[in-house]
Amino acid sequence: MSASPDLVDVAGTPVTPTRRTEAEERVAARVGGALEAVFDAVAATRAETAALLGRVLGEGRTPATADLAALRPGLHLRLARHELVSGLGFVAAPGLLGDVPAWLEWWQSCAGGGVRPLLPDLDPGRSAYSDYTHWDWFALPRDTGRRAVAGPYVDYLCSDEYSLTLSAPVEAGGRFAGVAAADVYLRHFEAAVLPLLRELPRPARLVNARGRVAASADPAHLAGSLTRGADVAAVLERGRAVAGAGVRMVPCGGVPLVLVVG
Amino acid sequence: MEPTDGGARRAIFAPVDNLARVEAVVHRLGDAIELGLLADGEQLPGESELAGLLGVSTVTLREALMALRQQGLVTTRRGRGGGSFVSQPAVPAEERLKARLRGWSTEELRDLGDHWAALSGAAARLAADRTAPEDLRPLRRTVEELTRAGDAAARSRVYGRFHVELAAAAQSARLTREQVTLQTEIGALPCLVLSDDAYREEVAERQRAVISAVQDGAHDSAGALAERCVRESTARLIAVRLAL
Repeated sequence: MSASPDLVDVAGTPVTPTRRTEAEERVAARVGGALEAVFDAVAATRAETAALLGRVLGEGRTPATADLAALRPGLHLRLARHELVSGLGFVAAPGLLGDVPAWLEWWQSCAGGGVRPLLPDLDPGRSAYSDYTHWDWFALPRDTGRRAVAGPYVDYLCSDEYSLTLSAPVEAGGRFAGVAAADVYLRHFEAAVLPLLRELPRPARLVNARGRVAASADPAHLAGSLTRGADVAAVLERGRAVAGAGVRMVPCGGVPLVLVVG
Repeated sequence: MEPTDGGARRAIFAPVDNLARVEAVVHRLGDAIELGLLADGEQLPGESELAGLLGVSTVTLREALMALRQQGLVTTRRGRGGGSFVSQPAVPAEERLKARLRGWSTEELRDLGDHWAALSGAAARLAADRTAPEDLRPLRRTVEELTRAGDAAARSRVYGRFHVELAAAAQSARLTREQVTLQTEIGALPCLVLSDDAYREEVAERQRAVISAVQDGAHDSAGALAERCVRESTARLIAVRLAL
């Protein structure tokens, strides 16, 4: 990467390369922190669900939709508490529940405050969208056993919004039982991270592991576009910043997003 | 220009959403009954519950039920044990769909096809610029399901999903919402052209060609192929309409 001595910060002071990289690391860490707060809501939902399913199985019963109603007070509380979270819940693996083939115990915040349940049509004989097991937010935690960030993607199943979905696998009785997940609408995510990106003197954007832009302060690379040719996955795997070809890529802490500047 | 007469003026100043909502409910319930998803004699949920499930006001729901009664798809019994019941017409599903199709003029079908082609063509062009290989998995899965789907109703559902997924691959929430609305309006009509196995294969081939062009980032040919896909189906539907 070439040094750019003509860069100045908001106050007009020249920015040295060292100060610049420090600022980039700081912004990446704060973006990571914002999503870690959302993962806290996912982790709490995951723990509550796993405990609930464990209790039901311990009684020798097959869990049913009625059992999942016990999750509602916690879901409503976390929806109210986490500003970035617009949808939250537990999505059951098909076959987990005794009374239905598939189920989303899913709640969304309403525009005027308050919460509402999502009631999608999950009957395969009626809806072409009844099988949710191929969506990244379900398949990634199921296949890797780890938490995941899906998107940005158009969520036409639940919210009709351009979204990020953060999810984690839930286990019960030693088996995969479904995922705990939280939706973050991209417009809310942008509102949270854009002020941070704009602190940086060089054009900055956040991209996911596939190179898709999740938020951007760079008019040449807007949200939803692909950053081709950059090995974002490698940066995430190494967990360290990488510079080259005029850009610097900084991983955002432990979440699978990378800050791209330059 | 001549001032508009009374009827047209009333239409102009009618609440914007209401008519569209009534039609959407009529199509949704009508399709479910046509496709046999709601069984003959089955009782529909109570008015306020049904309105809540569909997310419309009870006034809108009542207007929709009235239209369904006129089409003979719903009967209403009053008093104890009363309510609205599904009434499967004695004629076969295909005949009923043809009756639905008769409600569309060829000009309306042509215009529907233009709107649809504009949405899917634009979506394919954008998707070609914005799609990573992993994003194409849902579309591939849909085409495979189309080639396996036995009955016309399942083919029709999966066919509509292809276009919704294409809009989602464009990373556009607006195009996706528009496409979902359009597919709801079209409902089960594609059943009339997809029951033919040879044509179903042809459609699947066209959809595969769209996916390949999107994957190659060839946005112009992706757009043209998606538009042709839609135009071809609409033309077939219009041919069926003209034969009625």
